[in-house]
Amino acid sequence: MRTTFSDRRKIFLFLMAAPAVLYVAAVGLWPLAQGIGYSFYKYNLLRPARTQFVGLQNYVDIFADASTRTAILNTFQFTLFSVALQLVLGFALALLLWRDSRFNRIVLAFLLIPSTITPLVVGLIFKAMLGADYGIIGFFLAEAGIGPRTGLLTDASTALWVLILIDCWEWTPLMTLILLAGLKALPGDVLEAGRVDGATGWQRFHMLILPLMLPSIFLALTLRSMDAFRVFDSVFVTTGGGPNDSTNTLMMLGVKEGLQFFNVGFASAVGNVTLLFIALIATGLLLVVRRADVRINGK
Amino acid sequence: MARVSTRRIVLERTTALVVTILFLLPVCWLISTAYKPSNQIFSVPPRLTFTPTLDQFRAAFALFDVAALVRSSVIISLGTTLLSLLLGVPAGYALARSRSRYSAGFAYFFLAIRMIPAVAALIPFYLMMRDIGLLGSWWAVIVFNTMLNCAFVTWMMFSYFKALPPDMEEAALTDGCTQMGAFWKVAVPAVRSGIIACALFCMMFSWNDFLHPMFLTTLDAKPISVALLTAYGTKDITWGTLGALAHFSTIPIVLMALVMNRYFVQGATNGVQ
Repeated sequence: MRTTFSDRRKIFLFLMAAPAVLYVAAVGLWPLAQGIGYSFYKYNLLRPARTQFVGLQNYVDIFADASTRTAILNTFQFTLFSVALQLVLGFALALLLWRDSRFNRIVLAFLLIPSTITPLVVGLIFKAMLGADYGIIGFFLAEAGIGPRTGLLTDASTALWVLILIDCWEWTPLMTLILLAGLKALPGDVLEAGRVDGATGWQRFHMLILPLMLPSIFLALTLRSMDAFRVFDSVFVTTGGGPNDSTNTLMMLGVKEGLQFFNVGFASAVGNVTLLFIALIATGLLLVVRRADVRINGK
Repeated sequence: MARVSTRRIVLERTTALVVTILFLLPVCWLISTAYKPSNQIFSVPPRLTFTPTLDQFRAAFALFDVAALVRSSVIISLGTTLLSLLLGVPAGYALARSRSRYSAGFAYFFLAIRMIPAVAALIPFYLMMRDIGLLGSWWAVIVFNTMLNCAFVTWMMFSYFKALPPDMEEAALTDGCTQMGAFWKVAVPAVRSGIIACALFCMMFSWNDFLHPMFLTTLDAKPISVALLTAYGTKDITWGTLGALAHFSTIPIVLMALVMNRYFVQGATNGVQ
C-alpha cells in the first residue's frame, strides 16, 4: 500500500513538472541547438542558395575582426563599470533605507520607478535630455563648454560612459532592493553584539556587515552582470551602436547581423559567444559566492 | 535596535529623499514634455516653465491607434503571465516536493534559462515561427516570452514551495484528499503571495519587452513599446508627442508596481535567499 502511494506520488509530480520541462526544451533549448548548428554555416536568409558549411570560420571572424572585437570589449567595459557603480550606490542607498519604517518603505517604492518603466522609454528620455541642441542637460553642458560640442551621446569618446550612467540610473534601485533584502535578513544579535562591544560605525560596517553580506552581494552581482551583459534596449534607441562602433555591444551586433541583415550563421555564432561569456561570468561569481558562504557559515 | 538619535534619522531620511527625487527627475521631465506646446519644447535655451496644453495627446491619438496598441500590450503580457504561471507553478511544486536527487539540478537548469541572450535563441525561433506561420502574431511573442518567464516562475516557486513545510499537504492526503486537491487547495493558497510576486514580474517583463515583439509581430499586432520606437524614428513626431505616447507605456506598469510594492519587494527578497 505504502509503495503504491509513493509510486503514484512520483508519477503525479512527474506529470506536474513535465509540461514546463517539455515547453522549455521545445521553445528554448531546441532553437538554441539549432543556433549552434547554424553557427557553423555561412547562411544568409537573403541568399539561401549560397549556404555553405564553414566550420569554425564564423567564430574565428568574431575574434579576428577589429569591429567585433570592439563590441566584445565594449560589452565587458559596460558590464564591469555599470555593475560596480550600481553596487556601490545601491549599497549606500540600502544602508540608508535599512531602518524599517513607513517612511523608508514609501521612499523605496518610489525609488524603484526607474527599474519598472520600459527600458526603451529610458533610452528615449536620456536621448532627449542629452541632445546638445534642445536637451535640458545637453544644451547647458554644451553652453558651458563641458564635453563634446555635438552632445555626449554622439561622441565616440563619451557615448559608452553615458550609457553606463544611464544603466546605473535605471538599475541601481533594483540593486538597492536586492541588497536591502540581504541586510534585513542579517542576524540581529550579531550586529547588536558589535554595538555593545563599542565598535564604531565604520568598524561595524567593514568587520560585520560587509562579510555577512558577501553572499547577497555576489548574488546581486551575478544577477545584474547577466542582465548588463545583454544590454540592448537603451543602446539600440540612443546610439544604435555608434558612433564608429564605440557603443556596439555583443547583443547589438547579434541583433543587427541576424535580424536586420539576416546573416543567420554569423549572428548565431555571436549569440553563442555571448551565452558562453555569460555562463562563464555567472559560474565564476557563483563559485565566489559558495566560497564566501563556506568562509562565513562553515558549510 | 538600540535607540538612535533623532538627528541621525532626520539626516538619513533627508538624504534618502533627496536621492530618490534626483532619481525621479528624468521621469518627471518625460511626463512634463507631454504637456508642453511644441514650440516650447524646442526653445533655446531650454526652459523649465511652460503653458500646459493637451495638444501633444491630441497629436498622439491622431497619429496612433493608442487603444489598439495598449490592447496588444495587454494581450501579450496577460497571455504570457497566465501561461507562465500555468506551466511554472506546478513545475516549481513538483521540483520542491520531489525526493529525487536531480530535482535541485533541474531547478538550477530553469534558473539558467534566464541567462540566455535573446539573439542566441531568437533567430532560430524566428525561422521556426516563420515556417509554422505564426510569425507576425501575438502568439509568436507570447510563446517565446512564456518560455523565458515560465522558467523563472518555476525557479521562484521552487523556493517558495521549498520553504513551505509539507505537513499540511501530508495531513490532507492522509484524510483522503487527492494529490491534485492537496496541491490546489492546500499548497497553492499557502504560497499565494509568491504567485502574485511571480505574476507581477511576468507582467513587468512582457509589458516592457520590446526586442521580441519588434521582430516577431507585424504592424497590426505590435504593442506600445514597439510603437514608441516607430514614433521615434518618424521625423514629424516631436518629443512631446512621444512623451504623450510614453504615458500609456509607463504609467500602467509604474502604478501596478507601486500598488503591489509589497509583492515586488518580497519577490526580490525571495530571489536572494
